Amino acid sequence: MKLCEFIRPESLAQARAVLRKLGPKGLPLAGGTALHFMPGKVPVTAVDLTGLGLSYIRHKGAFFEIGAATPLSDIQRHRGPRWAMHEICRRISTHQIRNVSTIGGNICRVFPWADLPVVLLAMNARLVIYSGKLKEMGADEYFSSQPARLFRGGDLLAAVKIPVLKAHHGFGSVKAARNAAAFSMVTIAALLELKDGRIAAARVAAGSAIPFPKRLPSVEAALMGKEPSAEVFRAAASLAGNDAKWCKQEGMSAEYVANLAEVSIVDALERAAEFARGRTE
Amino acid sequence: MKTAVNTVSFTLNGEKKTFSTRPDEKLLDLLRREGYKGTKYGCGQGTCGACTVIMDGRAVYACLLYAMQAEGRKVRTIESMGTHDKPAPIQQELVAAGAVQCGYCIPGIIMSATALMEAEKDITDEVAREYMDGNLCRCTGYEKIWVALRKTIDRAAAEPAKKAPKGGKK
Repeated sequence: MKLCEFIRPESLAQARAVLRKLGPKGLPLAGGTALHFMPGKVPVTAVDLTGLGLSYIRHKGAFFEIGAATPLSDIQRHRGPRWAMHEICRRISTHQIRNVSTIGGNICRVFPWADLPVVLLAMNARLVIYSGKLKEMGADEYFSSQPARLFRGGDLLAAVKIPVLKAHHGFGSVKAARNAAAFSMVTIAALLELKDGRIAAARVAAGSAIPFPKRLPSVEAALMGKEPSAEVFRAAASLAGNDAKWCKQEGMSAEYVANLAEVSIVDALERAAEFARGRTE
Repeated sequence: MKTAVNTVSFTLNGEKKTFSTRPDEKLLDLLRREGYKGTKYGCGQGTCGACTVIMDGRAVYACLLYAMQAEGRKVRTIESMGTHDKPAPIQQELVAAGAVQCGYCIPGIIMSATALMEAEKDITDEVAREYMDGNLCRCTGYEKIWVALRKTIDRAAAEPAKKAPKGGKK
């Protein structure tokens, strides 16, 4: 994408005002790595959001709040007793890109291969949007279609709130890729809550092998009330085709991708169950 | 609010500098235009790592950054590392291991390794691989680079009082 101007606003309000004024000729920039690959012959003005204090990770009550301009490497390096975001972030692209790419950049315009939307859907994250004032939106609504729709009027993503995992909650994610830096072929994320040895709540989401990341309600329904076992997970995973039409990819048939997705769902569920069993507080 | 600037100022290899630029000029192009040609153009799309520099202590691809994004930052290029006469430990070990063949990837490898060694303590193989996963080499098959990196890390761990030389300025 061709840039004709570079603006550094000093507040969220100023950034929003500039973007509203510029309309389609303005583009918010955080890490900016994706801009280099975006088509567009008409030069745009970059509005740099990195100086607005949006790079942070804070534990606030029942949530971890991550500033929208926080680099993925900071999320990868962060550690905490009820924190699970590092596992997926270490699998996104390369070290150099993780040092620049931000969580906001990853989820304001969702590419089909993006991993974080899958994780945020499964974790039931909340998205904080600045539209003159801060408002919150659940991940299900935010990712119901391309989130870029929410930012056309100059509004900005300010933060992402990840629920702190409670006792007997477990999270697992699986990214199937050809090598460490490659785009995902299939990404699966699962959140399980166990109660008296049975699954009391489940959120399972998929991405990359489908046009847009989404939850898998048939899989979730098949898990409810069951004991977390490999057999139950396999039976639930076999229903994923009811919710997602798996797409063929380079060198892989749709059937192969469907099998890969089912195996990945089982792996993610097993990780989530193991995580949940080991956590009693 | 700062707008429509056509210059960028940042600390380059320890010296404060101001450069004329354009909003869409990449940091890699600026560096090479200004004579810092140790930073290589490889793929130009954030895959190979030949253009790796260190910005505020973190390894980044100079080909995926607009020069304007370096405003106020501290940027280090391969020119900040050891010299021919006084190579840095990682440079010594790469040569000793026979890890420098065509050599095109080496500036990027050295900058990623430097970022790793300056940022991390008690470096495990897993962490080292994470830091090096964005640098490709098509000559060595990585084994010799890995041997050199591990030796440099172990050498630094054995001599904690001695720091790697920051090297001369360009």
